Amino acid sequence: MLKATLRSFLAHKGRLALSALAVILSVAFVAGSLIFSDTVTRTFDRLFASTAADVSVQPKQDLKAPVPGAAVQTLPAALRERVARVPGVAAVRADVKVQNIVVIDRHDRSLGPTTGAPTIATAWYAGHRSPVELTSGRAPRGAGEALLDADTADKKHVRIGDPLTVQAQPGTFRVRVVGIATFTTTNPGAALVFLDPAVAGRELLGSQALATSVSADAAKGVSDAALKLRVGRAVGTGGYDVRTAGEQAESASAALGPFLDVIKYVMLGFAGVALLVGVFLIVNTFSMLVAQRTRELGLLRALGADRRQVRRSVLTEALLLGLAGSTLGLGAGIGLALGLIRLMSLFGMNLKATEMVVGRETPVAAYVVGLGVTFVAAYLPARRAAAVSPMAALADAEVAGVGRPLTARAVAGAVLGAAGAAALAGCAAATRTAQAAVLLGVGVVLTLIATVVAGPLLVRPVIRVLGAAFPALFGPVGRMSQRNALRNPRRTGATAAALMVGLALVGGMSVASASMSASFDRQIDKNLGADFMVQNANFTPFTRQVRDTVAATHGVGLVVAQRLTQVAVRLPDGRRVQTSAVGYGPGLDDVVHLTYAQGGTAAALADGHLAMDAGFARDHGLRIGSPLPVEFPGGRHTTLTVGALTHQDTAQGFGAQGGLYFGLATFARYVPSGQDSVLYVNAAPGTNPQDLRPGLERALKPFPQVQVRDQDDYKHLVHDQIAVLLYLVYALLALAIVIAVLGVVNTLALSVVERTREIGLLRAIGLGRRQLRRMIRLESVVIAVFGAVLGLALGLVWGVCMQRVLALRGLRELAIPWTTIVAVVVGAAVVGVVAALLPALRASRMNVLAAIAHE
Amino acid sequence: MSTPDAVAAQHGPGRAPDGGLAARARALTKAYGSGETAVIALDAVDVDIARGRFTAVMGPSGSGKSTLMHCLAGLDTVTAGEVWLGDTEITGLRDRELTRLRRDRIGFMFQSFNLVPTLTAAENITLPMAIAGRRPDGGWLDQVIDTLGLRDRLAHRPAQLSGGQQQRVACARALLSRPELVFADEPTGNLDSRAGLEVLGFLRGAVDDLGQTVVMVTHDPGAAARADLVLFLADGRIVDEMARPTADAVLERMRVFSGGNPRC
Repeated sequence: MLKATLRSFLAHKGRLALSALAVILSVAFVAGSLIFSDTVTRTFDRLFASTAADVSVQPKQDLKAPVPGAAVQTLPAALRERVARVPGVAAVRADVKVQNIVVIDRHDRSLGPTTGAPTIATAWYAGHRSPVELTSGRAPRGAGEALLDADTADKKHVRIGDPLTVQAQPGTFRVRVVGIATFTTTNPGAALVFLDPAVAGRELLGSQALATSVSADAAKGVSDAALKLRVGRAVGTGGYDVRTAGEQAESASAALGPFLDVIKYVMLGFAGVALLVGVFLIVNTFSMLVAQRTRELGLLRALGADRRQVRRSVLTEALLLGLAGSTLGLGAGIGLALGLIRLMSLFGMNLKATEMVVGRETPVAAYVVGLGVTFVAAYLPARRAAAVSPMAALADAEVAGVGRPLTARAVAGAVLGAAGAAALAGCAAATRTAQAAVLLGVGVVLTLIATVVAGPLLVRPVIRVLGAAFPALFGPVGRMSQRNALRNPRRTGATAAALMVGLALVGGMSVASASMSASFDRQIDKNLGADFMVQNANFTPFTRQVRDTVAATHGVGLVVAQRLTQVAVRLPDGRRVQTSAVGYGPGLDDVVHLTYAQGGTAAALADGHLAMDAGFARDHGLRIGSPLPVEFPGGRHTTLTVGALTHQDTAQGFGAQGGLYFGLATFARYVPSGQDSVLYVNAAPGTNPQDLRPGLERALKPFPQVQVRDQDDYKHLVHDQIAVLLYLVYALLALAIVIAVLGVVNTLALSVVERTREIGLLRAIGLGRRQLRRMIRLESVVIAVFGAVLGLALGLVWGVCMQRVLALRGLRELAIPWTTIVAVVVGAAVVGVVAALLPALRASRMNVLAAIAHE
Repeated sequence: MSTPDAVAAQHGPGRAPDGGLAARARALTKAYGSGETAVIALDAVDVDIARGRFTAVMGPSGSGKSTLMHCLAGLDTVTAGEVWLGDTEITGLRDRELTRLRRDRIGFMFQSFNLVPTLTAAENITLPMAIAGRRPDGGWLDQVIDTLGLRDRLAHRPAQLSGGQQQRVACARALLSRPELVFADEPTGNLDSRAGLEVLGFLRGAVDDLGQTVVMVTHDPGAAARADLVLFLADGRIVDEMARPTADAVLERMRVFSGGNPRC
């Protein structure tokens, strides 16, 4: 029996190769993501472990709300002396390290990495803890000198002797590059500028009396843990975090976590799609193999093999496929990880491919995934194979599997579909976000399963309509291809299902993202009154000089600054909520249109007052005049009075919770080191805004970190940010389509083999090669378009329901991207044409005589 | 081997050939494989197919009778020699020209009917004309359908038809374009004797009443007896021919060629 299985496996290796590709792809993504994240983690662990001081003291991170470029937390440099007196400390120093700077070369270009990695300015210390060493030039001495890291110098063509401008929070200063420092370990991708420790505090933090951390090395015989305890006792742990080298490395690695997680989730997303679509492909392949071998299986049964043996034979074949696929997939995964490592080094993160880490769990995961998916996918076909009667040995092969009624599918599909539709209807009618989201998830899963199950039932009606024009357009060739697609609804349905899943996902996501874009557009139209916004794409703050420059530009009338900070508020109901808050300068009403429920801008921005969303206030028992305790970074806190309540669409979700804002004077008092994140600019009366723009852009040339945007530009920026999500979905779609194409190829190839005699006859009675190819191509197109139509219909329903959920969060517009949808249908037709290439070629190359004589 | 005159002379009165040849082959040679392992299927065969006659080709298995038909019909390439269909030399034609030739000038019937299962009987009958993009002559279509008794079966799919009915559909398909030549490859091989007789009757009728030319490959002496002329093949050569055959005479002749076993 095993021998027969092996023979059969080898005999069908061509057909199995396509399924194996699906297994390989999913395993490769799983293995690749594991290897890559292991490698990155290991590399950085090593980097952090080698560079962290034995014990370090840092200001306590009290607020963690995600505000980009938040204020730098400092500690007094004098803390160094207190640490130095702790017994067991061999060496100690106060570090200065900030990321809220911009470094500009003499052509007004920023030296910062384009990848979003930070630009870091720090005090220069040589020594074994340093991740870099001086490779040319000399160390910086006094103000006006700096070192630059070699990778940045290389990339941005900066040489020793070149001048640089550093825009720091306390002020802008100029330096000359006096040396180049090269990373001794992995360069994490940041741009680094090193200053003389004697001036770094003043230049970067505004005072030599400030530092960002204090590092201590332990004397011989003193453990890090013991020293940590002693240092903690000396400085007090109320205001400071004291960490050992190990803890420091850990928290530094943890800080990398989000970045690694993104890559991991993206890769696992790809693996998931590959798996999901791959399952269809494998199920379909094995179903076809079983159908094709009905006679052979019947013979085995007639010769005395029992059901279990037949089933096991098919499953063994699946396991062999899974084994081969997993092994190749593991190899492909290593290649993929290698590619990612290369890609990272293009972006400036120099991981070493030679230090690639293949953890023990990687091959385990690869084989579990690969074997698991093939086994599960082959189980149903295997059961079907076991159900073949010995009489089948005598019957005609093609009949099997076609005629069985689809009643069970109809019932299951209808029940699941009804349940899914009910869940989606519930989602559309829901009034609470959490409830709606759960119903959406349930509805999406149920309707997807229902459509997959009922797919074969939909083949007949839908393809009748889709292919209705074929006979008129393409004559008998069109008629035959339409009928061929209808011939085995089960197979057509399963083939199209793979495409359907991917397209449903894209349909839903594109409706959701188009709706988001439309909603943001409306909000921008409604709320934004300024002629221009000066800011950067990721809302990182910028130096005060930008505001001064803008204000001094000829033709500028009004400049309103906006700042962001993280805060924590203690609500009357006792809850402490961490969120972000906005500080606005005077003149807000001229640049932003706010709708007030109570009070007005003057009351909101008045000293010691703040404004918030009316809904948030109601939910937490706040009213005009209520006192609200607010904590700011760095341990500052105060009590502000609620001065105004507003109606904000996005206060519950995409904006910061609560929609808190107050005057810039209040902001500056409690966040003294804050910087502007946005400037709203209006032209002076009598100045045409379009005339102002060139002057504004010219004036801001020395500040490459900010851009001038009018309302349309700002909409584009928002669209682009939403589009990033969409691009990811498109990439997933591309993968799904690649695998789905394999499925269509698979089905067509088998159909061509099954219909060999028919094709021979058609050729004998005068069907030309080109006509034959067209016949197969049209069949392929109609299958692919069927999948696309089904998928998009499902995706549209999902998208509309998703929009209902978004509407609960203030994104009220529904937009359906018809161009995308039409493009996807056209794309599906192209996919059909591509998938038909090989099978059609094969069919047209068939020898007519051999084909007619084919059994 | 047989000139038109000779054929005419042999057939004598009643059915004078209406002149000329539907097809002919000269020194037709077909070898499979090459070198020492080559198998000669047809060995320099000369054959003339008279227009408006019913010719049967007989011979034991492996005698080359199917190969002869395939070469005459442009389905198979020849190793050497010439094949003419009417005034057209078909040896040396490329695939596209051969396809068009088969479509427009030749009709086929096969042992296993070979209908397209997704098309109705009517669609199968008109398929070659539809492929060519031509409309069938309405009167002729009706005449063929009525002659073959398919009027009430036109909307049926092949799976809903009996074997005899399917072969009648195949016959109608072969006749519809009024081809110069109809090739029938063992048309009765898969039919019971009654349905077989019926189909032979239709082929005979197509020649007598509709003026068609039919070449039929068979190894059933009873079927061959319905032809005007029987060609006997053995070892890739035409070894004999018999005009106005009877079943017994054909069986007798076969017994001579195949060493006592008339079936093969």
